[in-house]
Amino acid sequence: MTSHPDHRLGTGLLCRALLTIALTLSSALAQAQSEWSRRGDISFQTQFFTDNSAHSATQSTNVSLSGNAEFNRAIGENGNLAISPFFRVDQHDSKRTHFDLREFLFRYSADSWEASAGLGKIFWGVAESSNVVDIINQRDAVEGLDPENKLGQPMINLLLLKDWGEISLFVLPGFRERTFAGEDGRPRGSFVIDANNAQYESSNEERHIDVAARASGAIKQWDWGLHVFHGTAREPLLAFPDFAPFYYQMTQVGVDVQATLESWLLKTEMIYRSGELIKDHAQLVTGLEYSFYSVAESAIDIGVVAEYLYDDRLEEANTVFQNDILIGLRFALNDEQSTEALIGVITDLDGGGDVFTVEASRRIGDSFKLTAETAVWANTKGDLLLSQFENEDYIQLELGYFF
Amino acid sequence: MKKTLSQTLAITLLLGASTLALAQTAEEKGLDIAQQVSAQNDGFADSTSSMTMTLINRSGKKSVRRMRGRTLEVTGDGDKSMTIFDEPADVKGTASLTYSHAADADEQWLFLPALKRVKRISSKNKTGAFMGSEFAFEDISSQEVDKYTYKYLGEEEVDGIAVHKIEAVPAYKYSGYTRLINYIDKEKLVAVKVEYFDRKDAQLKTLTMSDYEHHDGKHWRPGRMEMVNAQTGKSTILEFSDYAFATGLKDKDFSSNALKKLR
Repeated sequence: MTSHPDHRLGTGLLCRALLTIALTLSSALAQAQSEWSRRGDISFQTQFFTDNSAHSATQSTNVSLSGNAEFNRAIGENGNLAISPFFRVDQHDSKRTHFDLREFLFRYSADSWEASAGLGKIFWGVAESSNVVDIINQRDAVEGLDPENKLGQPMINLLLLKDWGEISLFVLPGFRERTFAGEDGRPRGSFVIDANNAQYESSNEERHIDVAARASGAIKQWDWGLHVFHGTAREPLLAFPDFAPFYYQMTQVGVDVQATLESWLLKTEMIYRSGELIKDHAQLVTGLEYSFYSVAESAIDIGVVAEYLYDDRLEEANTVFQNDILIGLRFALNDEQSTEALIGVITDLDGGGDVFTVEASRRIGDSFKLTAETAVWANTKGDLLLSQFENEDYIQLELGYFF
Repeated sequence: MKKTLSQTLAITLLLGASTLALAQTAEEKGLDIAQQVSAQNDGFADSTSSMTMTLINRSGKKSVRRMRGRTLEVTGDGDKSMTIFDEPADVKGTASLTYSHAADADEQWLFLPALKRVKRISSKNKTGAFMGSEFAFEDISSQEVDKYTYKYLGEEEVDGIAVHKIEAVPAYKYSGYTRLINYIDKEKLVAVKVEYFDRKDAQLKTLTMSDYEHHDGKHWRPGRMEMVNAQTGKSTILEFSDYAFATGLKDKDFSSNALKKLR
């Protein structure tokens, strides 16, 4: 019998090589899995509109599917990469079917400073009803009424860590246009905003480089922040007659303060904004929150929120919050399923209308959460902007799978 | 023979000391042991650990939460601590930062990962349930000697362990308890059982601490804590793992910026 040692050797080598590759790959995969931390959800949403709309979108129900994830991993000893994709597929509104990277941010951390670059998401502010100081990110307004839906903002950020707090410096190369409900989307106002034909004050349009700086810290029960921003306003003026967004240039300075005094939280946010094409003006949100803990010897906590919103342009303001009051009640059952509810009403003190909202959520099993939300617009005859939503009341149910 | 001044002083001091020892009141003895328990724990610099919390309701149905924690020892004041939640998935990434204080109110911040928002929250909520469990916030916060006044009640045995029985009355006016009874292992100087009495002075809960391990030859830490609510029949089991001490954590690892970066 002739042996083929070379051939056998060759097979053996190949087998060993394959085995080595397989082992390396599987360990690399296992390592990759452990290196990336992740969190997120896939959610199914149903909306019911209780009135017939006064505009072209006539559906009374709508369904959509969305996904949110955040992947995070260390790179070397001091680096970190965060990738947060988002998508929604909507039954009716082609504008609401969209994808975004909320984050694609690399961060390098040194002892007393940090530098980040990429797409990021930043929150500034302390208030509950509206955060007038929160200027870095554009709103993903097609997502819903909640201003907490934000588009990823291109940024280079330098953070200086001090004994008393921090200084954060931003260069924002590239502007994100606000998203709006499309022709077939609800809830929306009477007019479809022509988001494709945005106009800019700056000749650099969406390539204008914005800059911002913020200092913040905490002194005992006081948390404070001071900021300055120069660049393109995040909320557009809507030009007649085609309702194309117009993004103006402006400079704003602002302050946010919270005092935490046992069961009382006192909160204030204030900005002063000026620009060539706008009337210089101030905006304010100020208020308080009081919490009753373990009500009547139960596990239930109840919080009461009252906030006042003001814009010194009053009726000329392009926001709906020019002289308004929010009253809110927050319930936390502190049960196994973390059942919570937030009931709120915003009332225009000049008789422009009321907006009622309820949001409640409860965990189901270990990985699911059910959220119910409703918004009702009432007595809106006195306000041009709000009255457009008179027939847009809705109830929304969302079931999310979390991972 | 005349005694020298120093001799007189020495004798007086000796006499005085023995009189003190003899006349040590129940309050003084209670405080003394509480201080020894606290001293046993001193000098750990910092620690990290993982926790699994199992909630068991009346019908025996279980639900599980997982979290990781880190603590920085602060000499002369309450410790600084951080907790990040891993399960259930809908709160994954939510993290809290607490600066506890012996005399003043604690300072507390919460990080909400979906919004990237750090929120200062009221720390007055001592009586509230931690994550829907039978542990109130005050049960799991940094235990400082000054947070209670003490009274020694005697010696007893708990599961074959010789213990000091000490009553502790919370100094904090918003505490949910009128008093606690601590059962302290005489040898290890750690609590093995705590009984909690509600505002009507009825026994509310019993905490049993077991599976103590000696870490770095210095610090005793329980591997298991079980809180049983006598009034509702519900219970919560906390299991600890991956204890590490003196890992080199610094003050800056307990800032609001560090809270945002915790994963």
